[in-house]
Amino acid sequence: MGTGISMGVETTATFPVSKPVPPRAVMRVAGPPESRENLVVRAARGDVEAFEELYRENAGRVYLLCLRMCGDPSLAEELAQEAFIRAWQKLGSFRGDSAFSTWLHRVTVNVVLGDRRSTARREARVKPAGDGLPVDLSVSESSPGQALDLERSIAALPDGARTIFVLHDVEGYRHKEIARLTGLAEGTSKAQLHRARKLLRKALAS
Amino acid sequence: MNSHDWSDRFDDFLDGRLDAAELEELRAHVAGCPSCAEELASIRELRDLAAALPHSLEPSRDLWPGIEARVSEAKVVRGRFGRRAILAAAAAVVIASSVVTAYFIGRSQAVATAVLPVVVESGPSEVVLASFEGLGVNNYLDTRTELLDALEARKHELSGETMDVVMENLLLIDQAMDRIAEALGEDPENEFLMKQLAGAYRRQIDLLQRAVRMPAEV
Repeated sequence: MGTGISMGVETTATFPVSKPVPPRAVMRVAGPPESRENLVVRAARGDVEAFEELYRENAGRVYLLCLRMCGDPSLAEELAQEAFIRAWQKLGSFRGDSAFSTWLHRVTVNVVLGDRRSTARREARVKPAGDGLPVDLSVSESSPGQALDLERSIAALPDGARTIFVLHDVEGYRHKEIARLTGLAEGTSKAQLHRARKLLRKALAS
Repeated sequence: MNSHDWSDRFDDFLDGRLDAAELEELRAHVAGCPSCAEELASIRELRDLAAALPHSLEPSRDLWPGIEARVSEAKVVRGRFGRRAILAAAAAVVIASSVVTAYFIGRSQAVATAVLPVVVESGPSEVVLASFEGLGVNNYLDTRTELLDALEARKHELSGETMDVVMENLLLIDQAMDRIAEALGEDPENEFLMKQLAGAYRRQIDLLQRAVRMPAEV
């Protein structure tokens, strides 16, 4: 869908711009917690239908996280699929200490980072840097232009800077958690965030 | 504290993680430093914009059929990791550990060029990391990375033979952990597997710690 805001590249994916969510939000799923717990318990026992319900509730959030972290719509679909398969495999180890959606979020981040670590796969792919990511304006409510520009600029960031920016500024992780997830030093995480913000400010100002 | 130091604390400030004294100092500094004031305003604006981005977007196609196929497949193969395979993986960890122990006791003084092999580059597999996370071991990667860094810093003090033995056995334990973690993925409640994985973790860290503490050989 066209938006009137052009980065001079073809569009391949759609990002929504919708009502702002509270800052530092992580994935939250609406609905009665008890029924969700039941779904998780049933899925952990091997109930595929229950797992499908969990998938339907969380697919959009998992996919968007993958898309932001990798910047490639088709790869994001593969990674989202892999994240749900990994979640299925690990459901037995989910103790319920956090919300299922929070746990799934972490599983997803691990899957994307694991893919990043796969050198062969990384080298085989051509990164679609800044490959035009239009917004579905039918759902936009505030500052669609700014949000669209930011989404496009995030997608155009170098891999390392994009990962840290998405985890820190979009998803609300702290540097210590990012360091644990990525295997980077905290200082490296801070440096990458600084670099990402600098690049984003430059891109947004142009 | 100079301007650079303060700019490192802007996120702590925006997240409300500064104590009263730090808060007062930062505010005083920003009030008198236009450059930091501009930087802080810019970070705040970008963070607000990023935090307000949508958190959900449906993929262009339904991913469930692909997931369902894999999930159903996983149900069919559940149990394909028989007890024999798991015991073999666990034994590999024990053997690796024993070999290294024997080597450390009677190591030779042979000198060769030490090179950290592929195992250092590739790191532990995702399935192993996920399993450790599931077991509540959150610092595995940090600890491993720190010890490998320490070993890398000392590699010129150790003989090539020592480095080879350490790295070969590190790889052997990695491979054994992979197999145990994969089996654990299919049978997450299996206490035997959990114990084996935890044991492999301890042995690997112990191997690295001992290598790092070895007296210089070269």
